[in-house]
Amino acid sequence: MIEIEHLTRRYGSTVVVDDVSLRVEEGAIAVVVGTSGAGKSTLLRMINRLVEPSAGRVLIDGQDTRTVPEDELRHRIGYVIQGYGLFPHRTVAENIATVPRLLGWGSKRIAARVNELLDLFQLDPAEFARKFPHQLSGGQQQRVGVARALAARPALLLMDEPFGALDAVIRAKAQEDLLAIQRRLGTTIVLVTHDMNEAFQLGDRIAVMDQARLLQYATPTELLTRPAEDFVERLVGTVERPFRLLSLTGVQAALEPGGAEGEPIALSDNLQNALSQLVWSGRESLPVADPNGVIVGRISVGGILAHGRPPA
Amino acid sequence: MRPLRSGLPLDPLGSVIAILIGVALLAAPFVTYRANRIVSGEGRMLAEALPVLVAAAVFAVAFGAGLAAALIRNPLARLAAALVGLAAIFPAVGLSAVFLTPSGNSFARISPSVGFWLLTLSFALLAADSLTRLRLGPWARLAALATAFGAVALLLLSGAWDGLSILKEYATRSDSFWREARQHLFLALGSLAAACLVGLPLGMLCHRVRALRAGILQALNVIQTIPSIALFGLLMVPLGTLAAASPLAAGLGIRGIGAAPALLALFLYSLLPIVANTVLGLNQVPAVVVDAARGMGLSARQRLVQIEIPLSLPIILAGIRIVLVQNLGLATVAALIGGGGFGTFVFQGIGQSAIDLVLLGAIPTVALSFAAAIILDAATELAKGSA
Ligand SMILES: Nc1ncnc2c1ncn2[C@@H]1O[C@H](COP(=O)(O)OP(=O)(O)O)[C@@H](O)[C@H]1O
Ligand SMILES: [Mg+2]
Repeated sequence: MIEIEHLTRRYGSTVVVDDVSLRVEEGAIAVVVGTSGAGKSTLLRMINRLVEPSAGRVLIDGQDTRTVPEDELRHRIGYVIQGYGLFPHRTVAENIATVPRLLGWGSKRIAARVNELLDLFQLDPAEFARKFPHQLSGGQQQRVGVARALAARPALLLMDEPFGALDAVIRAKAQEDLLAIQRRLGTTIVLVTHDMNEAFQLGDRIAVMDQARLLQYATPTELLTRPAEDFVERLVGTVERPFRLLSLTGVQAALEPGGAEGEPIALSDNLQNALSQLVWSGRESLPVADPNGVIVGRISVGGILAHGRPPA
Repeated sequence: MRPLRSGLPLDPLGSVIAILIGVALLAAPFVTYRANRIVSGEGRMLAEALPVLVAAAVFAVAFGAGLAAALIRNPLARLAAALVGLAAIFPAVGLSAVFLTPSGNSFARISPSVGFWLLTLSFALLAADSLTRLRLGPWARLAALATAFGAVALLLLSGAWDGLSILKEYATRSDSFWREARQHLFLALGSLAAACLVGLPLGMLCHRVRALRAGILQALNVIQTIPSIALFGLLMVPLGTLAAASPLAAGLGIRGIGAAPALLALFLYSLLPIVANTVLGLNQVPAVVVDAARGMGLSARQRLVQIEIPLSLPIILAGIRIVLVQNLGLATVAALIGGGGFGTFVFQGIGQSAIDLVLLGAIPTVALSFAAAIILDAATELAKGSA
């Protein structure tokens, strides 16, 4: 768990991060969004003390980060940035081994960990371990960057626009993969982005920043239904708002008794996808199937639409 | 299918080389004959300089190599032609010295003349061009350099050139030759080592502390613009004063003239390329790489040693190459203020109008600079390969 308390950073007389407090639960993903120059990166970099706070403090599992030597602190925190910063003169395996080597792991343990991570990120160790970064595609470099950050099993991962350099198709896949790996490892993540879709897809909680201030820190649903300020409402997107809300709601919520014609929708799916299928198939309702394929009820356009607006 | 061409497929550089060879063979003297070491000499064409059959053979080989240069495109064949050409004229010039010196005459001087030098230049150009076209790796280039030096050393040791005037100059001063050679290397390498010792940390400091950068680089730039002889002169005064005032300094060999001001001047000239290239090298290390390194908890020292230096090494080595080649040449000027080195022979030779003596100083200097350039280029490439 990390607790950010009244964190402030000034450069001269300009305040770049202004009295920000927030808490990220163990194993959760917090996404920081905001326009460029809002202070997101600075906030993130104060967590691993790449930037020293002017005021306030950061606690990781209750421990004040100022009490830990900064390099030691960073060994325990994964760090991924836009462009990744892979070491061009080192192989993929050597890049991934960076922090374990700093920690003095034995070479066998390092080699085993490198292979394990390459497998986890779907990079064949036999093919990729000895390649140099310039021999990799953008998506492969990104995966190596994340693998390198996770090498020493950090409980906390900081990511600054980690998908910013990827094209849309590869980005969507990389986001899904990250989510799957995070759920599996239980890593706490603080991720900075200016992409609202990314924030809604990944964030358990979303922190909206503007002009150095934290405007709202809430779950995606709350952000949509109870925006704290006009700015949040505009950032969230008044046009996309209902669809974002539907995408955050499971089919279960709008399940009705009875049957219907057509291709069944999975119970685990969300309402946005369900609506999309209804529109595309030209039907008023569709059957819903549980994971075993048993029809458990149906879902209708009217039932779905009721969930696309804030509760009265 | 190769495109059809009209006429002979001439290689442009090869044609120039062929013309040079033609001029050298037909219109320029192969060696110069002088009755003694300082009178002016008379040229001897190839046909007069060697026994008829040998002259004919050398002529045929050189002519053939010229044709090959113009007509053959395969770089290996061109390289072979160049090497065969060199293998013909190098021993031939030694032989011609023996052939032309009247027996029992120890005053007569035979030295290579325009024809020989043109042929050497032509074959060297041809060899260099074919080596470039072969795109040799750094290790192969180093091996080629070692082979070339080995071959020349073998010729020198075999005594095949002992009749040439330049080696007669050498024979009368073989002791001082090696002393000045050591001194020359000491001046060039010593000043380089000192410049690295000071310049690399200074460059790193300039990189870290932006405020220092402009000032330091400008000061070094100003030094660079002082002509060498003026800088030697400028340094004579303070060092002379220092020696007069401090017996300790005098005891260490620091004087207004001699090696001390020469070494100091070369050191000062060396600083700019080393500091500037260190700053440049460190600057071009991508900021995102350094940021990632910091973020993963590499200490400032670990970043410098593991990331910044390896990634800037090719550019730093380029700076060292500039300095080494420059200092090997500039060290010649040190002789003017009593600093020793190969310049001693050059300036003595100029004073005595003895061109052979000038060459005795100049040729090793050129050879050293040439070798230094090749070695450091190869090292730079190796550093790039691993960076
Ligand atoms: N080292 C610095 N010195 C002065 N100003 C800075 C420094 N770092 C960041 N800033 C300023 O702080 C503001 C916020 O920067 P940043 O945290 O990078 O924003 P974001 O990541 O949200 O785009 C920007 O206006 C930037 O110019
Ligand atoms: Mg940023």
